[in-house]
Amino acid sequence: MGGFIKKNGSVVSTFFLVAITFWFVFLILIPQLYMLDLSFRPNLPPLLRGGPDDVYTLTHYKHFIFGSETSKDTYNYVDIGVFVDTIGIAILVTIINLCFCYPIAFYIAKLATPSATRLLILALIIPFWINELLRSFAIRILFAGEGVINNLLLEIGLLDVAVNFIALDIALYTGLTYAYILLMIFPLYNALETLDTNQLEAAKDLGSSTLRTHWRIVIPHAKAGIASGSTMVFMLTAGALATPIVLSSPNTFWFTQLIYQWFNMNDNWSRGSAYSIILLVVSVAFVLLMMRLFKVTIGEVVR
Amino acid sequence: MTSSRTLQIFLGLYISIFFLYLFGPLIIMSVTAFNSAEFPSISPWECFSFRWFNEGKIAYDGQRLAGLAVDRDLHVGFLTSLFIALGVVTLSVPIGMSAAIVLTQVHSKLRTLFYSMSIMPVLFPGVVIGISTVVLWDRIAGIGGDGVISDLGRNGIFLTILGQTCFISTYCFLIFVARLQRFDSTQEEAALDLGASQTQVFIKILIPYLMPAIGSSAVIAFLASFENYNTTVFSILSEQTLTTVIATKVRLGISPAISALAFIIICLTLVAAISYEFFRRRQEQKKARESTAKMYIEISSDRLKDDEQKAFVIPKSIFVFLFILLIGIIGWQQIIKNNLYGAECIAKAENAKKSNFADQLKLLQNNAATIESEGAEGGTGSTNEYNDIFGDPNLFKNFGGFDN
Repeated sequence: MGGFIKKNGSVVSTFFLVAITFWFVFLILIPQLYMLDLSFRPNLPPLLRGGPDDVYTLTHYKHFIFGSETSKDTYNYVDIGVFVDTIGIAILVTIINLCFCYPIAFYIAKLATPSATRLLILALIIPFWINELLRSFAIRILFAGEGVINNLLLEIGLLDVAVNFIALDIALYTGLTYAYILLMIFPLYNALETLDTNQLEAAKDLGSSTLRTHWRIVIPHAKAGIASGSTMVFMLTAGALATPIVLSSPNTFWFTQLIYQWFNMNDNWSRGSAYSIILLVVSVAFVLLMMRLFKVTIGEVVR
Repeated sequence: MTSSRTLQIFLGLYISIFFLYLFGPLIIMSVTAFNSAEFPSISPWECFSFRWFNEGKIAYDGQRLAGLAVDRDLHVGFLTSLFIALGVVTLSVPIGMSAAIVLTQVHSKLRTLFYSMSIMPVLFPGVVIGISTVVLWDRIAGIGGDGVISDLGRNGIFLTILGQTCFISTYCFLIFVARLQRFDSTQEEAALDLGASQTQVFIKILIPYLMPAIGSSAVIAFLASFENYNTTVFSILSEQTLTTVIATKVRLGISPAISALAFIIICLTLVAAISYEFFRRRQEQKKARESTAKMYIEISSDRLKDDEQKAFVIPKSIFVFLFILLIGIIGWQQIIKNNLYGAECIAKAENAKKSNFADQLKLLQNNAATIESEGAEGGTGSTNEYNDIFGDPNLFKNFGGFDN
């Protein structure tokens, strides 16, 4: 500590310490810990807080698994169903994005000329800076009942009646895939860019097929990028709120929408907190899984 | 050879499809902003109009579809977003910078912990950050009584700034870390040896070195804050930002005014991206020219200088620009020629819709008449009243006149 102050001077040291403490303690630690605490407490009106009823309880977690006490089902099929759907679809979206982006990232990193690379990257960044809500809105225009896709298919004669893409959730899945695709491309691109082109040529000279070269050389080299991109896409998809709000059909729920409902419409903050904790745990577990699976450090995952 | 050729064609096709997927929805959305119909679409094209940028219109079902110029919620939300983004920039850039500099000074075990802590907020879902901020500050406000703290704890703008700063600081942190990795610390040592104080070193050496990172992290922080929804929707409480206004609008029903807004944002992004690229190329050219100039001085040969006096070169991008301009002019003329623009066209479209409405009314009247005649046979005669309503020629006379 003394060395730290000596190195930076007292004024600058104070500034650093204040800024970092403010961030770590007041913005990161305390809010999360307080939310964790709240998730174990019953939902009480403000006046009763701190009273005899304010004891630690597992009600909210029990509610997530077994449902309310009045319901007849053994388990809370609705909420667990939403949760499983959300996680499953998030994994699916991640895999689709990975397959979809890999050739593009490889092309930009290894095959394109330098000026083309620059242009392509610029072109990739532009849609990324447009609000997620507006991008979802664009998808909604495409998939609406009288939207472009329906009209086109009707015109060609592939369809007789307009398909309700939104009720079928096709629009939602497309929107989710569309929303975070760039967070898959950039880590992949960064990882592939460092691959020595000589390795590819050596593999080719030694008679390796294109597929084999990719499987044995390119993919192992890009594993940090794959881990990083997958983590980002999964977490943002599982925690997405804007896209489901715009694109989900009235009878489909995303897990974040459930949290939103407990929080804002039912005014049950402690239950909303409990559900948030569940989402948080899943996200962190996924990150750890990815780190284990691809044997990368957390620093390589978040870049 | 043929296999590599087909592979190339496949790859080209794949890339075109990919970019079509990326840009297609945005382009179609932009085009719908200029269609005068109430529903954002392309194929039943009514008229080319700017109404969604100006005053909007009132639909036949009475729903008010405000255009951008008259939408007060949107204006207020925009200003709030701007204010929040500025607040986030002023907080998160110094925080990210401090954390990145301190990271270079801590070692071994502590360093890993410090780094993990700094990047943790990115791994939290946005909704979780929003909720935890609100929950904590509601409690603080509850304890704080009636003072300033209580007011702050219930102020959505303040909470949103804190919530967004939590994870946007990490973005800034990562940018600063990348820049500091290339920092030559002997500069600092030299300055200290020459008698500068630590504070002076910080202000005169480190800050100027970090200036590009400060700039880019400020831009990133601003944009990230401006377009954030997941955290904001929880922490904003009773206020409204641009994104929450858009979300409310989209949930209520889809209006082409949102397309118009998106079109403006897309244009701004495009202009920013192109000017950034232009600026960067300019700078690179300048650098290249300087280095060649240096080379001339070093080898002091006039022979090479002949190339330098190249006459003004027309950049190729001019042609692209001219081409787009030409297409625009021709397209505009076609629109005017085919009478797809202006009050006349809109009046025609409205009339068509009105007559459609009138047809339906007539059908209704006929139905009423049949019911009445049936009713007359049945001897009830109670449908007379309804018949009167539908039969009144003045009732719907002014219908469709909501437009102004």
